[in-house]
Amino acid sequence: MQTDISTSAVCLFVGMLSTATFAAAEVTAPPASERFARADTEEVPGFQQHVVPLLGRLGCNGRACHGSFQGRGGFRLSLFGYDFKMDHAALTGRATSKDGLRVNQESPGESLIVRKPSMDVDHEGGQRFVAGSWEHHLLMRWVASGNLGVERPRELKTLKIEPSEIVFGDKAVSVQLRVVAVWQDGTREDVTGLCRFRTNDDAIVTVDREGRLHSTGHGDTHVIAFYDNGVKAVPVMRGMSGQAETKSAPLSATTEVDGFISAKLRKLGIAPSAICSDAEFLRRASIDLTGTLPTPDEVEQFLADPSSDKRHQKIDALLGRPAYAAWWANKLCDFTGCNPNRQAELGQETSLQWYTWIYDRLGRNVPYDELIEGIVLAKGRHEGQSYDDYAAERSAYFRDESPIDFTRRETMPHYWSRQTQQKPEEKALAFAHSFLGIRLQCAQCHKHPFAPWTQEDFKQFAAFFNNIQYGVAPGAKERYRELANQVGLSIRGKNGSPVRRDVLKHARAGRTVPWRELYVSERSGPASLDLLRTGIVELGPKSDSRIAIMGWMNEADNPWFARAFVNRVWASYFHIGIVDPPDDLNPANPPSNPELLDWLAASFVDRNYDMKWLHRQIVASQAYQRSWKPNDTNREDRRNFSRAIPRRIPAEVVYDGLKQAVAGSDQLDEVRNDLTRRAIGHLSMRLAGTYSMQVFGKPDRAVNCDCERVNQPTLLQSVFLQNDPLVEQRINESGWIQEIADSERAGNKVDRSKLIRAAWLRTVNRPPSAEETEKAEKHLAGVDSLSEGMRDLVWALINTKEFILNQ
Amino acid sequence: MASSTTLLSRRQLLKIGVLGNGLSLSNYLRLNAAAAKQDTGRSAILVFLGGGPSHQDTFDLKPNAPSEYRGQFAPIATSAAGVEICEHMPRLARRAGKYAVLRGITHNLAAHGLGTRYLMTGNRPTPVVNYPMYGSVVSREFPAPEDLPSFVSIDRPVEGPGYLGPEYGPLSTGEKPRYGQPFRVRGITLGDGLTVDKYQSRRELLTDIDTAFDGFRQLDDSVRGLDRFSEQAYRIISSPRARDAFELSRESEREVARFGRHDFGQSMLLTTRLVEAGVRFVTVLLEGWDTHADNFNTLGRELLPRFDQSMSALLDRLDEQGRLDSTSILVTGEFGRTPKVNNKSGRDHWARAMCALMAGGDVVGGRVTGATDQKAEGPVSDGYTPDDLAATFFQNIGIDPKTEYEANVGRPITLVRDGETIPEVLS
Repeated sequence: MQTDISTSAVCLFVGMLSTATFAAAEVTAPPASERFARADTEEVPGFQQHVVPLLGRLGCNGRACHGSFQGRGGFRLSLFGYDFKMDHAALTGRATSKDGLRVNQESPGESLIVRKPSMDVDHEGGQRFVAGSWEHHLLMRWVASGNLGVERPRELKTLKIEPSEIVFGDKAVSVQLRVVAVWQDGTREDVTGLCRFRTNDDAIVTVDREGRLHSTGHGDTHVIAFYDNGVKAVPVMRGMSGQAETKSAPLSATTEVDGFISAKLRKLGIAPSAICSDAEFLRRASIDLTGTLPTPDEVEQFLADPSSDKRHQKIDALLGRPAYAAWWANKLCDFTGCNPNRQAELGQETSLQWYTWIYDRLGRNVPYDELIEGIVLAKGRHEGQSYDDYAAERSAYFRDESPIDFTRRETMPHYWSRQTQQKPEEKALAFAHSFLGIRLQCAQCHKHPFAPWTQEDFKQFAAFFNNIQYGVAPGAKERYRELANQVGLSIRGKNGSPVRRDVLKHARAGRTVPWRELYVSERSGPASLDLLRTGIVELGPKSDSRIAIMGWMNEADNPWFARAFVNRVWASYFHIGIVDPPDDLNPANPPSNPELLDWLAASFVDRNYDMKWLHRQIVASQAYQRSWKPNDTNREDRRNFSRAIPRRIPAEVVYDGLKQAVAGSDQLDEVRNDLTRRAIGHLSMRLAGTYSMQVFGKPDRAVNCDCERVNQPTLLQSVFLQNDPLVEQRINESGWIQEIADSERAGNKVDRSKLIRAAWLRTVNRPPSAEETEKAEKHLAGVDSLSEGMRDLVWALINTKEFILNQ
Repeated sequence: MASSTTLLSRRQLLKIGVLGNGLSLSNYLRLNAAAAKQDTGRSAILVFLGGGPSHQDTFDLKPNAPSEYRGQFAPIATSAAGVEICEHMPRLARRAGKYAVLRGITHNLAAHGLGTRYLMTGNRPTPVVNYPMYGSVVSREFPAPEDLPSFVSIDRPVEGPGYLGPEYGPLSTGEKPRYGQPFRVRGITLGDGLTVDKYQSRRELLTDIDTAFDGFRQLDDSVRGLDRFSEQAYRIISSPRARDAFELSRESEREVARFGRHDFGQSMLLTTRLVEAGVRFVTVLLEGWDTHADNFNTLGRELLPRFDQSMSALLDRLDEQGRLDSTSILVTGEFGRTPKVNNKSGRDHWARAMCALMAGGDVVGGRVTGATDQKAEGPVSDGYTPDDLAATFFQNIGIDPKTEYEANVGRPITLVRDGETIPEVLS
């Protein structure tokens, strides 16, 4: 196997250096294929180290076969392995078929686990190995040597793969991977033949069962090796131009972000696209930073501005606008799941409080960790507050006269009180998604296929949330009941009842109504819990376990907290995250540019989680400011930010943008600045679930997945833009076109080309070309009235690809 | 899986832009092409009785239960031997051979929102996966001809496309057709003063100025998709067939009266026209079944007579046109109602027992499947779950309920994970 790694002339092994570090010092046990090559070997295979991984590699415990929850042919294994007890019991138990025992120690050759996969007897799953192969011998030896299970699972320390990075040259070649398992006790074994392998893109590289890679095309991706609960990715690249590395001209890099991106592009032989035009930049940055289209005046001024740093100035100006806080509060509401239909009570009011609490903090640029801490550590009462004072304060948020400002609360408890967050498991899943960008749901039922998580890991993590309650706290029951009686709230059960609308009117009038509260209940005893394999946390019966989690997230080297956020923010500025999907950080889904992600995350922490700093780094980069127009080298690149990929503008921006495009001259500022009436702002909650929002893919925030927001074009969107009553109403009732009609009726002389220019500026936010003006003129000349023609023109412009795309 | 999926290599798909774990546009285009091959040609109708119809006052009467349970209605015999239904549905009683009654369906989500999600998707709702509504699955598997929408919801949509993505959402008409009044279909009917000519002239202007991506239209998914969908939207909006399908004024007064001179009757008539035109899935609503009070007047005087009339007309018309065999129909609410009548003459939410109707396609009519106990409190033995109901409905449309989708959550999702087709219902 060693000889397979010998370097071919056209193949570069960047990772060869690492070989020395583990080849020399310790003894590595040879691969199972050598040790079990002979039938008469004395070797005894381990259940955890050899048998279960082999069954995994052979596909036996896959979901289509015996890993299915129903099993196959009466035989069920744990999905993707790792439940050693269950698997051992299944193997050594009595088979249901008349063919005999799965494991027959007296005559190992009669064992079904040998006869079935070698097709000695009929096997629906087909032949998995041939008689006499090392796989065959390994299983025979396990059976014969006593077919022992696992008392205490061994801990895998790490998987080492060589080469650790592969850059293919232009001629397709193949490379053999070698995987070494390093166990906690220091033992090492070559486990190449016991791994499962997967390519993340078989148009670039394929990998066979033996771990041999074949280059199939240009581009970059990863090959993943799975063994025990270890997952390791190997980057694989092949330059686009075939002149990778050395020959491509150095690219000028102006920002640190660009430095990392250029380095990757050089490896791939990709030249980036040119920088986009000023008008493209203005529209793009306005949409991404503030969810808002620029106004005609703003476009004209920006284009006319001769200063060389005008883009930087514009970024700062945009970050200073309330619309920035609104749009990004809306995004944070996406990530944290602020859904008006899933609140504990008073869905609209509660979700609006949630939103404005975040909005207020974004406006003040409160550090991200501090903002999140206010959510994570939220409780109903402030420190030392009595139940009465709590209920009075919460009621006073709704008081008609001089209400208390909810945003002044130190913490925002609604995250925890949602209807969908009642069980600890639900809290664990949502928490992992919202703040860590990881998906634990697989591990709820079986070993996670792409991450080290086992069911036990999930159980322990979920137990952190056992005592986070929303209800009536012990000690407050009496007062709660008294208040309920006063306002006529009927209570079901001992956990209190939601405040209904008819009760809320008492709060409006200034009276105190009974609110349930978010509190930490007492555990039955101390707990000792593993925090996602990063260490054991000891919890006393009364301790708030969330403090331990928050402290851990705040550690500078936390693997997920900062990374998840910077990656999500990045993904909002491009068509794709550095890790994509952005909420699926796992070792089998590695970043396309790890150095970039590491730098962004580390610098974000160093800068005290300064969100505006983060936005500025991204928007000021050349990578963000590239044109969508491709060149010969980057046409197929969609992973490395070498050009802009057009993105459909988000639902809320469509809604607001349509309104703004047709607003009367005296309304233009108001429709932009009154955030209470904007879909990107406060109106977001009211619009949730409405037809236009559904058509354009605004997320319901009902499931733990960033994929809920869909920015992909659909047929219904086209039908909507062409002929929906809402669009028709916008155009027909346009204040701007009314002005034109009034002026026309008054017999005023109108400058058509000026109107045409305004139409372009209002919709696609750039001046029209001479040719476009001419086409529009031609249309206006052929209709009965100017206002009619302008309606047609606005209709046509909002139906262009340029309007609906952020390009 | 379909063989045509293998005709395109991943390499080619990459060129036309497949990325990420979600269903990309090109996946969609490809699957569309693949799906067309195995199309059974069936359409489907979902009649949703929103609010939770009382099972024991409709299709699961308990004349021998104590009076505080059995309520005020008596059963009547039907054209099918041994099958009895409520006295307020005489027309449906005469047509019992055209549908199957399913009793003893059971679950435990007695809230409107969650119950509806469950019944409309065949999967228990969870915050982990957003399951697609029936119609979204059908429009993904069996797209309509290009000038028609695949999936129409009369009035508002009942649940959405979930993990399949908004591409498979319904075209929602935004309102119900009202007897004797002009009916505007959201997105299809042209607005006041807008003619097809005018629309076409706007369209020409659009084609003229929409040139920013010329030369690069094939490059990116979003650009390609917009061109394609814009063109299809134009075809639908300007299509005589689509416009005609939504035009209820083309029906004779006799036909209008047969379906009923009320919103529901007109909605059912529209449903029939849409299916006849080639729309693949239609949802139609009859709401008001949430009878916490005054259950018997509401049902006896309003809901049951309407339902009886319009449902009968729909079955008759589809049968007359020879379309009943190719149309799969499901009638259901989100749950049943409490066995005991409350002190407001109403019944409250009850999910342990409910009933449903199925018709068309391979459904064996004139038969009751499943049963509830003596007071209609719960099923006899295990009963059926909404999952089973969904599996049976999908099976009757020609979609394998065990189909797997590469959902946007990063793992394959089985269409109806826990349900099994109820064999007695289908031939």
